[in-house]
Amino acid sequence: MAATQVRNHIRKLRFARDEMTQQKLAEQVGVTRQTIVAIEKEKYSPSLEVAFKIALALGEPLDAVFFYAPGAK
Amino acid sequence: MDLTSKEKSTWGLLLGIVVVSVYYFPQAIDAVDSAAGSWRLIGLSIAGVIALVVIEIIYHVIIAAVSPREAGEDERDKLIDLKAERLAGFVLGFILFWIVGRIIATTAMPELGEPSVLMVAVWILAALTASEVVKLLAVIGYYRVGN
Repeated sequence: MAATQVRNHIRKLRFARDEMTQQKLAEQVGVTRQTIVAIEKEKYSPSLEVAFKIALALGEPLDAVFFYAPGAK
Repeated sequence: MDLTSKEKSTWGLLLGIVVVSVYYFPQAIDAVDSAAGSWRLIGLSIAGVIALVVIEIIYHVIIAAVSPREAGEDERDKLIDLKAERLAGFVLGFILFWIVGRIIATTAMPELGEPSVLMVAVWILAALTASEVVKLLAVIGYYRVGN
């Protein structure tokens, strides 16, 4: 499956937030840890709702977490 | 391997269906040709369903006991399910189309031999089983590639 063109800074932001684990982020967002892994690796584009929840959990605005990079990769 | 509970459940269902099918279908084809065909087929089908349910219960009890608790089905799980079901739908449609074609072909080519109603029933059950196996394999595949 092709990688998504929706890129993100989740990994960097998790570490900036006291090394928040993928499991903790998943629990706060209400998805499985494997879904966070897939989003973080840019293999899966989350819905807008989940994207907002991730941004909220990381304490950042949506556009600081996700950005669109058409043609990248 | 890092598997979600949904993936583990899918592996269990796949394993159960394959084990039961490997036993069921040769017996069912054999039963179709026997004198008490329909009763044997009914008995086999009931035994097959019971065996599948027992395998699934045992498997899920073990999985629940050894796996940590995690969120239920999320949006990615649902998307993967939908994509896999779409693929399974194509497979089911293709096999059913073949069955219909085979029945119609009998009228044009009698040498093919007319399939009995019981044999057609076994074919349809095999089509349903094959599409379910394809669905489960697709689910596992989509999880492995990330989406």
